[in-house]
Amino acid sequence: MIGLGVESTAHTFSCAILEKKGKQGKILSDVRKIYRPPEGEGIHPREASRHHVENSATVLSECLQEAGVTIKDLDIISYAAGPGLGPCLRVGAVVARSLSSYYNIPIYPVNHAIGHIELGKLLTGAKNPLVLLVSGGHTMLLAFLNKQWRVFGETLDITLGQLLDQFGRSIGFASPCGKNIEDLASSSSNYVLLPYSVKGNDVSFSGLLSATKSIIPKSKADACFSLQETAFAMISEVVERALSFTRKKELLIVGGVAANKRLSEMLHDVCKRHGCKFFVAPQKYAGDCGSQICWTGLLESQVKNGVSLDETFVTQSWRLDSVKVDY
Amino acid sequence: MKLLKKGAEADIYLTQWNGSRAILKIRKAKRYRNPILDTKIRKQRTIKESQAISEVKSYGIPTPLVYYANLKKSFIIMQEIPGKPIHDLPNSKIIELSKEIGKLVGMMHKNGIMHGDLTTSNFILYKNKVYVIDFGLSQKTIKSEDHAVDLRLIKEILNSAHAEIMKSTWKNFLLGYKSVVGSSNYAKITHLVSVIESRGRYAAVV
Repeated sequence: MIGLGVESTAHTFSCAILEKKGKQGKILSDVRKIYRPPEGEGIHPREASRHHVENSATVLSECLQEAGVTIKDLDIISYAAGPGLGPCLRVGAVVARSLSSYYNIPIYPVNHAIGHIELGKLLTGAKNPLVLLVSGGHTMLLAFLNKQWRVFGETLDITLGQLLDQFGRSIGFASPCGKNIEDLASSSSNYVLLPYSVKGNDVSFSGLLSATKSIIPKSKADACFSLQETAFAMISEVVERALSFTRKKELLIVGGVAANKRLSEMLHDVCKRHGCKFFVAPQKYAGDCGSQICWTGLLESQVKNGVSLDETFVTQSWRLDSVKVDY
Repeated sequence: MKLLKKGAEADIYLTQWNGSRAILKIRKAKRYRNPILDTKIRKQRTIKESQAISEVKSYGIPTPLVYYANLKKSFIIMQEIPGKPIHDLPNSKIIELSKEIGKLVGMMHKNGIMHGDLTTSNFILYKNKVYVIDFGLSQKTIKSEDHAVDLRLIKEILNSAHAEIMKSTWKNFLLGYKSVVGSSNYAKITHLVSVIESRGRYAAVV
């Protein structure tokens, strides 16, 4: 079975083609174009959606070409229906709908966050993990129970990705800032105490963001270092709490922030302590991509038919713990 | 000393205190955490825990007796409660005990203490009495918002770890809670719980 996945929830427009044989999935192609806001600024939804519109045709044809398939070979089309930025989501949905109706191919709306998890599982081979989803849109700890992903902990305000980006932009980096912060942090080892806010299995980052901004004038490097140390220690602690509570023996990290080396070093240590296997989604597929949407659509097609065109919604708010998973 | 449990933030050992069995809870240094931050957290939580356990006892909430606390090495020696965590009991029992748990939480809040880590592993059933443990994240606070954070956490746990009995356990919990804090506080705090939930990522906007 061959599927096309269209991702356009935030700054990335991506199309990917995957082939599914039984439980195995193979990525035939995954092409992306990423909208880059000017330095010091965040994503402007209108500008990002314009970027997506302008690039959609090239990305789609490159993706088909690279995979060596034509549109007529596609068995299904999936698109990211949410959560994300409305104007951006609409671009992906329009591309998917047009192809689906013109070529009469079944269409599947997919939850973007579930996509991160399913692709992570496919690529790492994790079977029954506690999942840490850390990105610009999410900071959540999840475990699968009774046909649904259940939230065992999450952020009560901004996400880890937002924390890094908003801080990074305030010192003049361009979003996404994770890599720049990581690089600058590695030049310091001077820790400044910052607010550490763990509430049971939940975290809160907004106070940490303001406090870190206030120490920028002293040293940007120290601020980056202390921010990372504090925020990642909070995440590691809630992961430890959730591991010990759920007694899971696997941890999987997915989402854009999974690329951060310091975070994964800390979580590696956590896993060692708890005798737990540690999986990180490969860097190339940790962030937003068409593959995550395509693979989830392929999984759904095992148990569901595509939806009719008037049911092809997009929604900015769509919590992944409200999705029934039947495959 | 026998290791009983490697918890998230502390290790639990079985030990002796004046000839009787006791629990030693030690917060060991975490390698992944910056040493300055690590020392601060471990010390602060050891202090909070030993204080809160004793304080809530005086309000009639069953907790272990604290025998000894060592702040330098971040450990506490306390009474052993050889029961079973609520988390591990059969569903019917959890549903039944939820009301009692709600009452206990209500008593803490009424006396200005937020527990900070309300999970079903932190309530132990022993000789038909429910004991509360693990006060490391507790805070002295009379703010309704803080009390709502406590409620939201236990709701999250019921909704995830005990999803199949969520409705009945949550209902019983709230019944017990209301019976202690009174209708007007109850209404205020449960309203704040939904406010906090609506602040969550991608929450359905009401």
